[in-house]
Amino acid sequence: MSPTARVFTVAGIVLFLLIVLVPFWWIASMSFKTYEQIQFATSIYVPKPFIWDNYTLLWTATRFPLWLRNSVVTAVLVTLLTTVIASLAGYAIARLRFPGRESFASLILVLYLVPPALLFIPLYRVLAELGATNSLAALVLSYPTFTVPFCTWLLIGFFKALPRELEEAAFVDGATRTAALTRVLLPLAAPGIVASAIFAFTLSWNEFLYALVFIQDETRLTVPVGLNLLIYGDVFSWGQLMAASVITTLPVVALYMFIHRWMVEGLAAGSVKG
Amino acid sequence: MRLPRALRRDTGAAFLFLLPLLVLVIGLIAYPFARAIWLSLTDKLVGYPERFVGLRNYAYVLDDDTFHEVVKNTLVFTVGSLVLKVLTGLAMALVLNGVWRGRNFFRGLFLLPWITSTVVIALTWRWMFDAFPGRGFFNSVLIDTGLISHPIAFMATPAGAMGAVIVANWWRAFPFFGVSYLAGMQAIPRELYDAASVDGAGAWHRFRHVTLPGLRHVMIVTIVLSFILTINDFNIVYVMTRGGPGTATQVFATYSYEVAFNQLRWGRGVTISIFLVPVLIVAIALISRYLLKDRE
Amino acid sequence: MAHRRVSRRHFLMGAAGAGATLALGAREAPAQKKAASLRLWILKTYVEPTNKAIEASAQRWAAKHGGSVTVEYFTFEDMQTKYVAAIENKNTPDVGQLETSAPARFAGMGQLLDLSGFAKQIESQVGKPPANVAPVTIVDGKTWAIPWYIMAPFWYVWRDEFEKKKVKLPTTFEEAKAAAHALNRPKDNFYGMGQSWNRTADGYGVMQGLMYSYGAAWAGKDGKYRSIKTPAMQKVMRWATDIYKEGIQPADTLTWTGSGNNENFIAHNIAQTSNGPSITFAMENAVAKATDAADRKKKEEALANHVALPHPAGPEGRRMWAIAMSFGVFKNSKDPEAAMSLVAHLLSPEETLGVMKDSYGQFAPVLDKGRAASKDYFNKNDNYRTFGKAAEWFVPTGWPGPITAAAAEVQASNVLTDAPAKVIVDKWSVDQAIEWEDKKIKEIYSTLGA
Repeated sequence: MSPTARVFTVAGIVLFLLIVLVPFWWIASMSFKTYEQIQFATSIYVPKPFIWDNYTLLWTATRFPLWLRNSVVTAVLVTLLTTVIASLAGYAIARLRFPGRESFASLILVLYLVPPALLFIPLYRVLAELGATNSLAALVLSYPTFTVPFCTWLLIGFFKALPRELEEAAFVDGATRTAALTRVLLPLAAPGIVASAIFAFTLSWNEFLYALVFIQDETRLTVPVGLNLLIYGDVFSWGQLMAASVITTLPVVALYMFIHRWMVEGLAAGSVKG
Repeated sequence: MRLPRALRRDTGAAFLFLLPLLVLVIGLIAYPFARAIWLSLTDKLVGYPERFVGLRNYAYVLDDDTFHEVVKNTLVFTVGSLVLKVLTGLAMALVLNGVWRGRNFFRGLFLLPWITSTVVIALTWRWMFDAFPGRGFFNSVLIDTGLISHPIAFMATPAGAMGAVIVANWWRAFPFFGVSYLAGMQAIPRELYDAASVDGAGAWHRFRHVTLPGLRHVMIVTIVLSFILTINDFNIVYVMTRGGPGTATQVFATYSYEVAFNQLRWGRGVTISIFLVPVLIVAIALISRYLLKDRE
Repeated sequence: MAHRRVSRRHFLMGAAGAGATLALGAREAPAQKKAASLRLWILKTYVEPTNKAIEASAQRWAAKHGGSVTVEYFTFEDMQTKYVAAIENKNTPDVGQLETSAPARFAGMGQLLDLSGFAKQIESQVGKPPANVAPVTIVDGKTWAIPWYIMAPFWYVWRDEFEKKKVKLPTTFEEAKAAAHALNRPKDNFYGMGQSWNRTADGYGVMQGLMYSYGAAWAGKDGKYRSIKTPAMQKVMRWATDIYKEGIQPADTLTWTGSGNNENFIAHNIAQTSNGPSITFAMENAVAKATDAADRKKKEEALANHVALPHPAGPEGRRMWAIAMSFGVFKNSKDPEAAMSLVAHLLSPEETLGVMKDSYGQFAPVLDKGRAASKDYFNKNDNYRTFGKAAEWFVPTGWPGPITAAAAEVQASNVLTDAPAKVIVDKWSVDQAIEWEDKKIKEIYSTLGA
């Protein structure tokens, strides 16, 4: 590699490291400051004194634990629901032969015509009529409307990329379709399904608009809406807000560390291979 | 016409497998969408019963000055951040492409903004740009290095606020572009580069004539996908500026929410979002050509 | 084979369904004759002790009557939207605290129980509200809510800044603006004033105080729409926008959240701002939380140095919009008797005074007995004496007419604060902004009748 290219590369890495990490560090450092430190702008870059109070107060004195629980419950249920629906649909579209198969693939795309920005108002009415508003049920019912299309799309690509020969070999051996599915395909498809599940979890964990609109009771909010409430509705708890932000980000980052390779492949599969 | 045996055998299974998806799509997407259309033809004000008013909402929205501004803002927001994302994505891909050891590590690290909750991101950048020195990163740095003496109220002017939300949106999304372009670059056959080098092409030439064309497919897909997602974005603007100051950063999704939930006019609120549909149709038609073409 | 496949899928979906059902919020048990189960909505103020005191009071009722009360909160920011969501979902609480224009608004929507008879009972037990506060709860001759307390805005200033420059403490809006000029020190990042036209009571409340004190109004005495294209409104819009144009406020004032002016005042960035007593609470709290003797001394000095003046007056006098909180009972309540009993309990002098003592001055009772008994509490110091006068200058939404549903919608639609923003941000002319505001108000009145 030529020297100029090397310099360019190193400089680039440093630049991107700064771009990516500085905002995180800013928030994290604020989470360790007292209200006065933030209010009076003392010891800006490195908190002095360095306190854990915001984290403990967050846990004991706010509704944050409840919000966290709500987010977890919602995300888990939505992930389960999504993975089941998307895997079945993805497999069918990728592998089964039936009339109208192409239309189904296009159908997934057409669903992007009805984004949450449009759907949130009529969905609100529909859910209100079902009596599901102001509860996590509203979220569990509505989140799949955006997680399922994305995950199905992902899995179609994934199933298609799996070699048919193994399945067909299993059939030749006299296996039923179900056996072929479970014993042969599923283990192969596991990475894709796991990636899709992680996507669904992340999308659900980070969702804001539906949670904002469908739920009013403070004890039933999810974390993103709770955070928003803290910014605008409450006063003098910036440190806690930052602590909450840090805590919210950690689970996804942790999950992601384990599977980031699959996730990247999934992303790339979607855009590169089409 | 009877279907051939093979097809017939799969159809039953397909139906069962696709049933959950169909139920979801019909019950929670198509049906509410139909309700949305109906709602747009009424004067529904929350707390009062609705009345049919025909196309009055559409006429009102088309004539509304704020709506015109919203259209402009949304385009500026979407296209502005898109341009930044593409350029940064290319840069990121080029940089990572040149790294051998630790490429996966850095690639993973750089993806952090993409997996973070947009509310956290909006909050973060709201504080990065804050004029209150204890919270504002840029103001703190600028003041501490003596470059300025007064905090700059970045988000208090229309241009500044728009810039701020664009930056937040860009920061969140550029890793997706970077990773996709990196994958795309790695899919370009070495031979093309070797051939170009043999012909005496320099780095820039190779980039322009081998890399970029090779990335064409990825670029179109990422651009259109991001376009669709950004044009619908609610979180970033809502949490950072609430559409302000005034209506300087009001975009489709936040304006629709504002009209429906603050002004309580659901008929009008839904109508505003429906104006997005034609734009989305064009975008989706574009992308389906590219995405479906390669799928057998 | 097909059978096995279906049942596995059914199992998964059943599990998901069961999980979703578990996630559904707990449904209310139907109210029984003996043990009433009520939902009470309370405003979450910035003074946490007050919020807790109200909750405690409600629980005392529950203990006394063998029922249960679930207290839920709404904030300054989601006051309008939360109730409206509940109305759309047919999910209103039994008893709700209603801000100034809410009784008229919700009565207009047919959501409240007619409390005319109950009001008479309260009158005999606790007394009536003063004449200027009563209209908040009376629409078309019927009483829809019972007023409890007033949380008024006051004009906070730093005394030392005024003394340094030998400027008289302001009593009118014009004086306040002149003082802001005199005290302005942009080089030191210190500004003469901090008035944000944001979408909170600090914004639309002060705008109404400004308008009414200048005699500008959007409704007549009969409650019908009246054009705001008047010389008085011109003066109002000019004052509202000049404070931005003339550089006497921090650059980001317009974008402040509800607590933005609190923070900037306490951080000594601005000399004057309008706010409820929560600033005093914050400063008293800071003294209590002082880390050492030096810190304590500093906080005490700040506390002594800050002054809460009566809100400025205009050429036509002092007319102050304030948050007048009343209790309403929603029609959908399954146990109105219990609901009214809870309200009577909360309104009783003992309970009211108990809450007031934990309110750091932001809670000024309005019913006769409560008001009379609160005189001692508010005699603590000058600031508190001013707090105690809150009801004197109170003028409700829609002045000079009664509070109508349309007037309430005008406040809720944010047009009052959006108009000056158009001049400040989009560089409209004052005339254009008034024209636009007038058009919007007219439209609201034509939609809602009157």
